[in-house]
Amino acid sequence: MAEQYSSFSRGGTGWLLQRITAAFLIVVLAFHFFQLHFVNHAADVTFAGTQARMENVGYFLTMVLFLIAGAFHGLNGVYNALVNQGLEGTQKKVVLAVLSLAGIALIAQGIWVAVAMAGWT
Amino acid sequence: MSQSYNRGLIEDFGRWKEFSAGMWAWIFHKFTGWMLIGYLFTHIAVLSTAIGAAAGDPAAIQQETDVYTTTIQGLESLFIIRVLEVGLLAVAVFHILNGLRLLMVDLGIGLSAQDKSFYASLVLTGIITIASVPTFMDGVTI
Amino acid sequence: MSTQQEQPQEPESQEAPEDPEMRGTESPQQERLKEKEQGLAQEEAVDESDLEGETVHLKVFRYDPEVEGKQEPRFDDFYVPFEKGMTVLDAVMYARDEFDSSLTFRHSCRQAVCGSDAFFVNGKQQLGCKTQISELKQPVRIEPLPHQEVVKDLVVDMDHFYDQMHAVEPYFQQEELPDGDLEEQRQSRENREKVKMSTRCIWCAACMSSCNIAAGDNEYLGPAAINKAYRFAMDEREDEEIKEHRLRIVEQEHGVWRCQTQFSCTEVCPKDIPLTEHIQELKREAVKKNLKFW
Repeated sequence: MAEQYSSFSRGGTGWLLQRITAAFLIVVLAFHFFQLHFVNHAADVTFAGTQARMENVGYFLTMVLFLIAGAFHGLNGVYNALVNQGLEGTQKKVVLAVLSLAGIALIAQGIWVAVAMAGWT
Repeated sequence: MSQSYNRGLIEDFGRWKEFSAGMWAWIFHKFTGWMLIGYLFTHIAVLSTAIGAAAGDPAAIQQETDVYTTTIQGLESLFIIRVLEVGLLAVAVFHILNGLRLLMVDLGIGLSAQDKSFYASLVLTGIITIASVPTFMDGVTI
Repeated sequence: MSTQQEQPQEPESQEAPEDPEMRGTESPQQERLKEKEQGLAQEEAVDESDLEGETVHLKVFRYDPEVEGKQEPRFDDFYVPFEKGMTVLDAVMYARDEFDSSLTFRHSCRQAVCGSDAFFVNGKQQLGCKTQISELKQPVRIEPLPHQEVVKDLVVDMDHFYDQMHAVEPYFQQEELPDGDLEEQRQSRENREKVKMSTRCIWCAACMSSCNIAAGDNEYLGPAAINKAYRFAMDEREDEEIKEHRLRIVEQEHGVWRCQTQFSCTEVCPKDIPLTEHIQELKREAVKKNLKFW
């Protein structure tokens, strides 16, 4: 049994964050689907239309937060799934590093895309 | 007791008929989760054409011939993409509904109905998906 | 109850809690009794007379490392005469006594108290002595508990399970005693009611065996150990510091967070302990404690 105690264990923080992002994602993902498939049809998406939406700072921030929450929730979920299969030691550290890098890259790329869409470049 | 026998993972997929509702919910949630994170990467990759479009000719954007607009509309004109989108919707809706169920379980609400809420999320996913097919398939033919 | 002389009016059961909050709605105890009655009604619906005079077909997992030729696991068939009220344990005992004395399995009290005879019956972890043959589809497939090393036939190695149980310090720890030599460490009725189900654990390891996370992660404490931790962490007679110590044990990496709420443990528990509920409550307690420290 691990004897290292901290005032805020990693497992607990991860668990809580996974739930908080889940609650946020439920709302925003439902909105996102509705917005881009029912209000506007995906087939009719144009750059100008996207830009009109993205120029709104509130929408822009929501989408960026959506991306960050989604990336965290998804990659943390993948990490948990692998740990539950009994991933340990070096392998576990490598997986964590790879997933973290992938997440950071995804978020960075996504924000760049969002800025380009908003026309702020 | 010189030796013992390790039977390994007994409850593998060979015994799927014996799985309970909670186990199925877990398997489906995980499976849909993998697909959604996979999709998120693809999604950002496709949307990355916006960087090219923004840097390109503003006139192209006006005429809707920029790389972003043409890529998305090109993809959307494919029947297979529309089918995949319906699949994505089903996957996302199930993940959302079962996620709600899991949040309730985490809050300790309605634990005795956890199996029923799993079946309910399956049924609701089916209904929402089927109801969305006309909208998703609008204006595309094989 | 005989010691409670100041309350002679009190009925012999625990069904009428004094606390108005608990009386307002149905008490957990009443709910459980109701569920039990419904369950019994369903059980009675199974017609036993169909099986009267029939034989029961058992398929029993066999393995013996000490006999050459039996080292390769196999299933043996036994045909046991059915008797009304026959349990799985009765059936395997008959098979052992009448057909093959080398058939090995653990059993002791035969009344779901000792926790020795948890088997994998028709794909589900069940106590042999508590499972009616009449409720099972035939042939009845009896195997040792999955995810544990098989020592012989239906006997599995329980060491790892016991290690996990002991890791949560499954004993009452309260240094301070009440004043006065003859004072008892009393527990309130409400508190007793809260931990009641968790105290029923008989260490049979059915839950641990059913948990597919425990199967993958060998260090996971498992449902039984976490439930044991719950039993003491929720006991108000222990000091706050001890509760924190207990929460620290269960919130380590291989503790409560590994639980994926598949409810497998809750479904197989022969003592109907709401294991998942207890694990979830400990998760929330751990989060609350950590937020307080923040």
